[in-house]
Amino acid sequence: MDTLIQVIVSGLTLGAMYALSTIGLSLVWGSLNMLNMAQGALLAIGGYAAYAATVTLGLPVVLALPAAMLVGFLVGLAIYFAIVRFMLNDPGFETNVIIATVGLAIVLENVVLKLFGAYPFTQPFQLPDGLRIGAVYVPYQNLLIMAVSLALMAATAWLIARTRMGRAIRATAQNRDGALLMGVPVRRVFAQVLALGGVLAAVSGVMLSSITTLAPTMGYDPMLKAFIICVIAGLGNTLGALVAAFALGIIEAGVQFLFGVRFGFPALLLLVIVALILRPEGVFSRRRTVRQ
Amino acid sequence: MPAPSLVLDGVSAGYQGTQVLKRLSLEVAAGTLVTIIGPNGHGKTTLLRCVSGLVRATAGTIRFGEVTLSRLSPDRVVAAGVIHIPQGDLLFPDMSVRDNLLMGAYLPAAFAVSRQKLAEVYRLLPTLAERQHQVASTLSGGERRMLAIGRGLMAEGRILLIDEPSLGLAPIVIDQIYEAIGGLRRTGHTILLVEENASRVFDLADKVYLLDNGQMVWQGDPQELASRPELLATYLGG
Repeated sequence: MDTLIQVIVSGLTLGAMYALSTIGLSLVWGSLNMLNMAQGALLAIGGYAAYAATVTLGLPVVLALPAAMLVGFLVGLAIYFAIVRFMLNDPGFETNVIIATVGLAIVLENVVLKLFGAYPFTQPFQLPDGLRIGAVYVPYQNLLIMAVSLALMAATAWLIARTRMGRAIRATAQNRDGALLMGVPVRRVFAQVLALGGVLAAVSGVMLSSITTLAPTMGYDPMLKAFIICVIAGLGNTLGALVAAFALGIIEAGVQFLFGVRFGFPALLLLVIVALILRPEGVFSRRRTVRQ
Repeated sequence: MPAPSLVLDGVSAGYQGTQVLKRLSLEVAAGTLVTIIGPNGHGKTTLLRCVSGLVRATAGTIRFGEVTLSRLSPDRVVAAGVIHIPQGDLLFPDMSVRDNLLMGAYLPAAFAVSRQKLAEVYRLLPTLAERQHQVASTLSGGERRMLAIGRGLMAEGRILLIDEPSLGLAPIVIDQIYEAIGGLRRTGHTILLVEENASRVFDLADKVYLLDNGQMVWQGDPQELASRPELLATYLGG
């Protein structure tokens, strides 16, 4: 029983971190048909922004997260204004933007390397101590990660479902020309989606670095896992991505516990292969009913 | 405020080097229903897409009152009061009928009166009221056309551009749709209607333009067109 609780707590913590990053990735794909390969770099930038705000600038630790969110927002906007808006109307946008964001990721990683060096740091956004559930020790940091992630996911869900901006994002994702003809400023929506994706990735980076360490390449592994989650859920399916993130977090924690840490990632790769064979459109993709 | 006139003056447009519209001019006066008829593939849809900004005019000007539309992005064309109800509907398939209609009132001025407009649309198109919680992708072809028209009406527009409302629909559904358009006509809406089926517009239109190969080849009163079968035979095959 204690083992099960341990696996579930670890899995939910992993899932909460993956979910934030994956939702951002999924929203960007759903709205722009854009696979953002700079997602990993955005995670690292979020983590380092929180570190810089508290350690370099000496701000209180409670401002670490808002600082990371602000930087993620600005970098997301910069991706739109510096790269995406020039490519949007190109026929090969989907391919070109992958190459462009791979290049951007390399640049961002080297900027971080230049500013902070390669030596890994400890993320100051930490809660000490923890609580005991039976024989299981649950660090408060894990609970904080789950709480922050759930709060941010709830805020994102509210924004998408209930606000004018969210309606515009959904409309643009479902029919770009249709949205334009309703007066939706589609280019502004794209900028908003990338900024939102940047915020979610930055927070995910802070959470991740708080239980590992800060390093310029820290975002690659979670980015790959976010891609796996997106593929399993169905690209652009945000709700499915959320469920898949938590499910895969628990599966990864279970595999790590039963077979060893090194088998966690291969297990996810195996799952994505099985998912691609059995349901290439995604496990959670809706089977849309369309009358002809 | 009365609706201004829509004026196209020497407009050319096309796709990837192929010129579809060739120095075309037309005028839609406020409060009138003007119809463009012509054979398939000769530029009727491109003309409407050009007015709404989805296709960029390569020459000429498009004015709506004092506003020059030719250089505006589609969302700004909508903000100027020009509402395009496209062929193929361009609905939001995963949204409900009600949410699709509310997207029609996306701009702040329209959203402010969206509840009242929603009631008006439901009164004019009762099928939409019955289906308001249904997802758009599950509607029939006729219901989709009605939803597209209803969504256009939500926008508080000053002119409606309606593209082939009868395309691919059963005669009984076409009757319902033209009844709705007739209702709009009687309430003073300014409408530019593209239609392939000339007989549908004789009783409805104030003026008819005949478009062939990207150029206006005839314009005039619909009754006059009805009395000239040689024109219909030459350009519309019957």
